Amino acid sequence: MSAPSVISPSQQSRIKLGRRAPNLYAWATILPVLILVAAFTLYPFGFAASMGVRKYILTQPNVHPFVGLRNFEQVIGDELFSVSARNTLTFTLLSVPLVTLLGLSVALLLNNRLRGFGVLRALVLLPWAIPLVSAGIIWKLILHGQFGSLSGLLYQFGLIEQYIPWLSNANLAMLSVVFAHLWREFPLPVILFLAGLQNIPPELYDAAKVDGAGAWARFRWVTLPLLRAPLLVVVIYETMIGVAVFDMVYVLTGGGPGSATTLISWFAYTATFKFLNLGHGAALSFIIAIALALLIIVYLRVLPRQEAAI
Amino acid sequence: MNPQKKIRRLWNGITFLAVVALLITACTPAATPTAAPAEEIGLNFVVWSYSIETIQDNIAKFESQTPGVKVNLSDFSWNDYHDTLATRFTGGTPTEVAYSSDHWLQEWVAAGWIVPLDEHFPEVKEFAKEFAPYSVQGMTANGHIYGLPYYSDMVVFMYNADLAEKAGITKAPETWEELTEQALKIKEAGGSESPVYIPLKKDDPWTVEIFYSMVYSRGGKMFDENNNPVFNQPGSEAEKTLQWLHDAIFTSEIMDQSVLEVSEPDVVKTMGAGQQVYTVLAKYNLAELNLGQHEQAGNFKLALMPGETHSTVGFVRFYALTKDAVAKGQQALDAAWKFLQYFGGKTDGEFKVVKRWALEKGLGFAQLPLYDDTEVAEAINKWGDVNLEREQAKVARVKEGLTPWWGAWDIYARGQIHDAVLGTITPQEALKNMADKWEELKGQ
Repeated sequence: MSAPSVISPSQQSRIKLGRRAPNLYAWATILPVLILVAAFTLYPFGFAASMGVRKYILTQPNVHPFVGLRNFEQVIGDELFSVSARNTLTFTLLSVPLVTLLGLSVALLLNNRLRGFGVLRALVLLPWAIPLVSAGIIWKLILHGQFGSLSGLLYQFGLIEQYIPWLSNANLAMLSVVFAHLWREFPLPVILFLAGLQNIPPELYDAAKVDGAGAWARFRWVTLPLLRAPLLVVVIYETMIGVAVFDMVYVLTGGGPGSATTLISWFAYTATFKFLNLGHGAALSFIIAIALALLIIVYLRVLPRQEAAI
Repeated sequence: MNPQKKIRRLWNGITFLAVVALLITACTPAATPTAAPAEEIGLNFVVWSYSIETIQDNIAKFESQTPGVKVNLSDFSWNDYHDTLATRFTGGTPTEVAYSSDHWLQEWVAAGWIVPLDEHFPEVKEFAKEFAPYSVQGMTANGHIYGLPYYSDMVVFMYNADLAEKAGITKAPETWEELTEQALKIKEAGGSESPVYIPLKKDDPWTVEIFYSMVYSRGGKMFDENNNPVFNQPGSEAEKTLQWLHDAIFTSEIMDQSVLEVSEPDVVKTMGAGQQVYTVLAKYNLAELNLGQHEQAGNFKLALMPGETHSTVGFVRFYALTKDAVAKGQQALDAAWKFLQYFGGKTDGEFKVVKRWALEKGLGFAQLPLYDDTEVAEAINKWGDVNLEREQAKVARVKEGLTPWWGAWDIYARGQIHDAVLGTITPQEALKNMADKWEELKGQ
C-alpha cells in the first residue's frame, strides 16, 4: 500500500512549474538567436533547396515549374562541370600540402627564440591583414604578362629573355593562382602550428637529446606526433577552403584563360550571376555543400580521437 | 527639509509640468497649414565607373536646372557591371535609371528589369530619327525603344603611324594577312617584340565585340536573320579569325599571349608607351592615346578595319528606364524622363551632355546631327579623322544574334575563343561548341 501523498495538488503544480521555469527561461533567452539563425541560415537554405528543384531562370520570370533533380543532372552533364571538378581537385591537391608544409616550416623557424623573430611573427600575419581583393590585385600586377614586376625582376637579372605570361598560359595560370592562394593562406597554419609547438614541453626534447636523437629524429618522433591535432585542423580546413575557393580566381583570372582556372565555385557563380540560371547555381551550390559536409564529417570523426591521444 | 525629499519634490514638479505641457499641446487646434515645400523626388542612377567626376558635374548641372529632383549616383566596374545590376534588380535595390548596353538589352527586357521608354514617352521615337541606325537597333527590343544613348561608338583599328613609318610602312594594312606582313616587318626592324595587341580578356564584355568586328571586317556573319548560328560553318570567317588569332600568337609571334589577360586600359597604357603598334579597340580610346599623357601621344591614327569589307561592330550604351521608376509613380517617372532627356536627348535644342562627352572624352555619339557641328568635328580631328570615322560608320553593324540568351552565350563564347586561341581545341571545335551552347540556351 502506497503512502498517502502529503503534497496538495496546488503545491504539485507549483513544483512542476518551478521545474519547467528554467527550461522556459533558457528557451526565452536563446529564442532571438534561433530566430536570427532561422532567418539567415535556414530560410536561405530552404529557399536555395526550392530553387535547386525548380526551373529558375531570371530571364523567364514567374515561370518556375518543379523539375525534380533535372538541374542536378544538367549541371553534372555539362562539360564545364567535369573541367571545373578536375581543376578543383588539382587546385586542392596542390594547395593543401603546400600551405601545410609552408605553414609548418615557417612555424618551426619562428619557434626559435632569436632576436628579431618577434617582429617576424607579426610580419607573417601581413597577408592576412590585406583584404583578399586587394591581395588579388597586387598579385595581378606582380604576375601581369606585359608589365608584371615578377617578370620584370627575372628579366633584369637576365634569367628570362621575354616576359612570362603567368596568367594567360593555361598551366602557369593554375600554378599562379595556387601560389597567390598559398601566400594568402599560410599565416593561419603558422599560428596554429606555433601554438602547438609552444605547448610541447622542452623536457621531451632534452630527453630525446640524452637518448642521442638528432634534429630530424627529434622532429619525427617528438614534434610531429604532438602536432597531430593542429596538423589535422590545418589539412581539413585548407581542404575545405580549396574546394570552395572563389575570390582569388575571381580577381586574378576570371576562370581563364579558357577554362584553365575555372573551379567548381566559379562555375556556380557563372551559372548564377552570368547565365542567370538560379536553378543551376543552387544545384551546384548543393553539390559543393555536400562535398564539404563529407569533409566536415571526417573532421568531426577524426579530430577528437587525435586530441584524446595527446 | 531632507535633501532627498527636496529632489523628489522637484522631480515631481517637473514631471507634472511636462504632462500639463503635453496636454495643452495635444488639445490646441492645429495651426492653419502653410504651403508645404514641394516634395523632392530621388532618382537612383547606376553607372559603370568611367569619368565619374564628369558624371557628377553633369548631375549637378541637371539638378540646378531641375529643382525638386535629387540624383543619387552609384558606380560599379565595367567588368562586374552586369552581375552587379542583376543582383540589384533581383534583390530589389532601388534603381530608377541605369546605364545599359546592347549586350544585355534583350536579357534585361526578358527579366522585366527595364521598361519600354516609348510606351511612357512616345516622343522618344522622334528623337530616334536622328540616331545612327545601329544605335537604334541596339536599343530596340520587341519593337520598342528602351533608352536614350549615353554614347554610341564603333570598334576600330588604330595604329602608331610613327613606329610603323620607322619600319618603312607608310599605309595601314588593308587585310589581316597584310597586317601580319607589316607586323613581321616591324618585328624584324626591332620596332616591337609583338607589334599587334588586341585585348581578349575572358571576363571583359569587349572581347566578344572585338571578335565580332574581326569577323565582320572579313565579310563574315555570326548569325542569320532568324538568329541561327552561321559562324560554325566550315571555312567561315569566324573560323579564319580564330585561326588568325592563334597564329598571331604561336606561329608568326606578332602578338603577345598576354592579350588573353588584358583589357582596354592596359592596352592604352602599353600602346601609349610604344610597346606595340596595332590594336583593335573602341574608337574613343584613340582620343586618349593621342591626347593623354603618353610617351607616344599624337602618333596614333585611325584606319578602316583590315579585311575585305572593312565592316565592324557599331554599338550603343544607353540610359535605361527601370521598372522601379514606373513603380515609384508618375512624379518619379516624369523626373526620370527629364533626366533622360538632359543626359541622352536635347535640352534647349542642344545635345548638351552627349556633346560634352564627345568634346572632352572623344566618346562617339548616336546623334548624327552632331557630325555637322563644327566644334565637334574640330575636336575629333585633333585626335582622329572625322571623315574616316564617317566612312567606317557607314559599314558598321549591330551585333547579330541579340536575344534574351545572347548574354549567357557571350560568356560561354569567350571561354571557347580563349581555348581556340590557346590551341587547347581547334577553331572548328570551339565554334561547334559555341553553336551547341546557343541551341541549348535557346531551348531553355
